[in-house]
Amino acid sequence: MFEIAARSVGVSLTATLIASCFALAGALWIVYGRTSWRSVLLGFFNLGLGLPPVAVGLAVAFGFWRSGPLGSLDLLYPPAAMIVAQTIVIVPLIGTLAVLALRAVDPSLNDQLAALGVPVGSRLGLLARETIPGLLAAALAGFGRAIAEVGAAQMTGGNIDGQTRVLTTATMLEVGKGEFGAAFADVAVLLGIVAIVAGGALVLQTRWR
Amino acid sequence: MAVSARGLVAERDQFRLQVDSFDADASGTALLGRNGAGKSTLLLALQGLLQHRGLVERTGRCAGVFARPAVLRGSVLWNVAAVLRGATGVDQRTALKRSKTMLSSVDLSNVMNLDARRLSSGQRQRLALARALALEPQTLFLDEPFANVDADGRPGLRALVRDYVARSGCALVLATQNLADVTTLCKTVMVLEAGRPTELLDVGAIETSRNPYLQAIVCEWRLLP
Repeated sequence: MFEIAARSVGVSLTATLIASCFALAGALWIVYGRTSWRSVLLGFFNLGLGLPPVAVGLAVAFGFWRSGPLGSLDLLYPPAAMIVAQTIVIVPLIGTLAVLALRAVDPSLNDQLAALGVPVGSRLGLLARETIPGLLAAALAGFGRAIAEVGAAQMTGGNIDGQTRVLTTATMLEVGKGEFGAAFADVAVLLGIVAIVAGGALVLQTRWR
Repeated sequence: MAVSARGLVAERDQFRLQVDSFDADASGTALLGRNGAGKSTLLLALQGLLQHRGLVERTGRCAGVFARPAVLRGSVLWNVAAVLRGATGVDQRTALKRSKTMLSSVDLSNVMNLDARRLSSGQRQRLALARALALEPQTLFLDEPFANVDADGRPGLRALVRDYVARSGCALVLATQNLADVTTLCKTVMVLEAGRPTELLDVGAIETSRNPYLQAIVCEWRLLP
């Protein structure tokens, strides 16, 4: 159980960290960029909100199959493919929430910092700092979706005991076997992990008012 | 130190600004005009913050103060120091020292450890001025910088800007509705109407101008005790 829980957290946390980097870069570009392509990316983010994890899992699994275009990387079934799939699933969610968090900041702040000669790199750092509570909430939502989804984990991980089994796929397996007690135990651990992460985020947000 | 523009055309929210020629130096140029005449748009274009056509040249480090200053999450002191470090790359100790000195100059020493978002609009304008002057700019763009400052605090802030400009030779462009700002800080006045300059005159000629807007400003000023 501990091993499965640790793998769940490890895979979802890694996916959240990677997705947050892509999502934040995209969100900054959408809010502060000056090209019309921004709305195309925002459209992708919005479209991705409704993306079924099982569809992403299928696409990633197809890509990493031995005969697939990325088959030579030999990534299918170790957790790497699960991380890739979960990252794709949660980038739109984190990105959309990050856009909302950035838009909550005074829209002229970027121009005002530019008017004071702050270079673009430092400016982005200061703007990101302004939105830390909102970005934390976005990352938390992404982590919650990543650790709770089952379709992509099953498609890309295959629920292999000792290798790719995570709490959600383990729960499905236990229910299939009629072992409801074990299934409830898996779910309880899952809820406990989400509660701990949410509590940690709350503490950070309270300190960073 | 100077800022100049030739054949400047900028568009913002269906508003068109067209200024064939503009020059400012340490003697100070004031932009006057009714609300929506294009003063802030011209300031943004001169600072390179608005896409435009034509030639704009600025010399040295520039600093701009907006009419509604935005503040960063954090203390008043941090607001000045973070911008100073970001813009000039000075070390933290120097940044904090210079920031404290500037905050003292704008009478914000007593609130320097407060969250900047709790400041009143007048205090925010003081903070914005401190943030800009701490950079020791060679070109200064001010957009109604004292509009919300308490009446008895304005002369001190005007003197602060005037002394800095005199000491550094910094070019100054000032958008305002206040004749006291103009007479204290500028030698030249450009009047804007509907995005175009309609008059360029010496500050001493304002009182005799036949421009109805300028006459209204002078009249209001004379009514003051």
